[in-house]
Amino acid sequence: MKQFKKLMAVLLVGSLALVGCGSSGSSDSSSSSSDSSGSADKIVVWTLAQDLEQFGKKFSEDTGIDVETVVIAPADYLTKVQSALLGGATEPDVIVAEPQMLATMYDAGFFEDLNQEPYNAQQYSDLIVDYVWEVGQDDDGIQRAISYQITPAGMFYRRDIAMDVYGTDDPEFISTLFKDYPTIYNTAIELRDAGYRIFASDGEMGVFAGDDAWVVDGVLNLSQARIDYMDLAVALYQDDLTAYASQWSAPWYQAMKGEVPILTAETNVWDSDAVAETAANSGTTEIFAFGLPSWGVLTLRDNTDETFGLWGVAEGPSSGFAGGSFIGINSNSKKKDTAWEFVKYCTLDADVMEWWIDISKGDTVAHIPTLEKYSDVENENFGGQQLYQFWLEQAQEIDYSVVTQYDTAIGNAWGDAINSVKIGEKTKEDAINYFYDVVASTYPQIQINR
Amino acid sequence: MGKKKDYNRMGYLFVLPFVIVFLIFSVYPVLRTLYLSFTDYKGYGTENFVGMANYIRVINDKFFWQALWNTIKIWSVNIVLQIGLAFILTLIFSDIKYRFRGLSVFRAIFYLPNLIAATSVSFLFKTLLDWRFGTFNQMLMEAGLIDMPINWLGATTTAPIVIAVIGAWMWFGNSFIVLMAGVQGISTEYFEAAAIDGAGRWAVFKNITIPLLKPILIYISITSLIGGLQMFDLPFLMSGGVDGAPSGSLQTVVMYLYKFGFVTNQVGYAAAIAYVLFLIILVISILQLKVFNKKED
Repeated sequence: MKQFKKLMAVLLVGSLALVGCGSSGSSDSSSSSSDSSGSADKIVVWTLAQDLEQFGKKFSEDTGIDVETVVIAPADYLTKVQSALLGGATEPDVIVAEPQMLATMYDAGFFEDLNQEPYNAQQYSDLIVDYVWEVGQDDDGIQRAISYQITPAGMFYRRDIAMDVYGTDDPEFISTLFKDYPTIYNTAIELRDAGYRIFASDGEMGVFAGDDAWVVDGVLNLSQARIDYMDLAVALYQDDLTAYASQWSAPWYQAMKGEVPILTAETNVWDSDAVAETAANSGTTEIFAFGLPSWGVLTLRDNTDETFGLWGVAEGPSSGFAGGSFIGINSNSKKKDTAWEFVKYCTLDADVMEWWIDISKGDTVAHIPTLEKYSDVENENFGGQQLYQFWLEQAQEIDYSVVTQYDTAIGNAWGDAINSVKIGEKTKEDAINYFYDVVASTYPQIQINR
Repeated sequence: MGKKKDYNRMGYLFVLPFVIVFLIFSVYPVLRTLYLSFTDYKGYGTENFVGMANYIRVINDKFFWQALWNTIKIWSVNIVLQIGLAFILTLIFSDIKYRFRGLSVFRAIFYLPNLIAATSVSFLFKTLLDWRFGTFNQMLMEAGLIDMPINWLGATTTAPIVIAVIGAWMWFGNSFIVLMAGVQGISTEYFEAAAIDGAGRWAVFKNITIPLLKPILIYISITSLIGGLQMFDLPFLMSGGVDGAPSGSLQTVVMYLYKFGFVTNQVGYAAAIAYVLFLIILVISILQLKVFNKKED
């Protein structure tokens, strides 16, 4: 009996030690795909963008090098990468990040220095759109990551409505209707008077980040443009100038297809009498414009139905961009050469970029020679507009120096402030003071001049 | 004598796996968090010792206290509904006169919401309570109970109450099971004797059930307080982020902690918030115990 107990105890302790020392590679609940080409070499890619699975498969086919792509939900991505890389993990070999994560990941030293030998990434700087190249650099100007795509913002508009109201659908003229916030308000009034609505939601200008940084030399910068933006969002909501749809909701997508009922902020959609009365008085309307990044081309392609072919893209009130997948090498990786081959393959190879444009059905790449090659291509959904040329021009306007590490938290706080004024919960002054308080509490190091 | 000594040694070996796991996954993180609360650690890189600066910042941070107040408000409404409902059901199901059948079935039904993931619950209720298109508003409108749809999750007055009610719905089954176990542990002789003496339901409840359930009530109140002050998943999911929209009314202390630990990379400050919360829970728990014990005296 004594021997049995001793044996059991030793087995228990031994099994615990084995569990503790065992590999955790298979415990990840994230979806993963792996190519089994039988290649002697293999790299592991961690990504929050599904695109990389397709790049990985093609890379395997073309090179014979196995690529295991692990797709992790965006909400969990940074935490998982931090946990792994802070623990000194040599895998993944390639890591992917969105712009808002990059500052933290650069600061933590997760990305390999791509300016050093044998990479010498700086020699490729002329091949990639400027702002994308800058986003891939840390504070010291060292290249850490490169993206295969650009995501500049544009104002997508209905050409038929433009012809009806303004007698022209020329993108250059339409751009003047959106040149600044007071003009956008006047445009909204004109369109309402003509029986249309300018936007489906009041958040359509959110993608145009503004020309000012939130923090300049350690001081919070609540510029007049930001206040004008607040005034416009509130006015659009309170003056019944939108269709009161939330971005990305079913009614918002419906508005891309054609007619939507005219509602006011007070319209009770569950009271059939009230809806009937509103419809009898106001009828239905159609939405003129949507503010989206370049991938909005794909959103409209998939959701326009009857309005397919009636769209154009114009410039918004300022430059801006949203999203984009940046690829770099884990600084702990033991397969950096292969990882670098993969990064170059996904971002700098002209043939791969053309393949990606084809297979993604219209994604806008960051590779300048490819963009220039496609600059004459006309998009039938956009009245023959040369979109690659348009996006390249918009991307060249982006001033990345206005992006700071504080933007996500401060932007969220500003969004809350706008919302509280919009629904009448706070006065403008109270909302701005509350915003100052939130920023002061979140980042005590930022100076606030109230 | 020698045999006994060997046997004890074997005992240590048997508990060793737990002790090792406990030291690595419980004791070490607790001590490490305490250390980090005195540093400016960002979650990576080196940490610099900053003394009590993080704790002073917590004390002076009005949004921390607002988050604590939000948490207490939500928890207070939640606990009254949760324990109240569980108590009423316990009284009904334990009444020797009613003799309800199928207790195990009801117990499983009441416990069911506890088994649904918070993500599913939040999706379900966000859909049901949608301001313009939600079923709940539609039902109230058609019943003529309201004239205009209520923005349940968009108004600072209603959103915390909604979270409290959903929480009570999720967790009352657990309280019910614990209370039922407590009541079933009371000898039926007391209830029978009271019935023979002609005691009414209220007298039985006040003089027999409550006093004999006291250890269970202490357990429930302290565990629900600890769980309540650590509330995170439901308000986080329902408000759609760490800022606790609308206007921060759903931002709980742990959401506030999460904001600094995982969104703005101020892990040292987040650790200090964790320890201040720990101290608050400790003080309230001690007060609770004292109040209960005082009543007994």
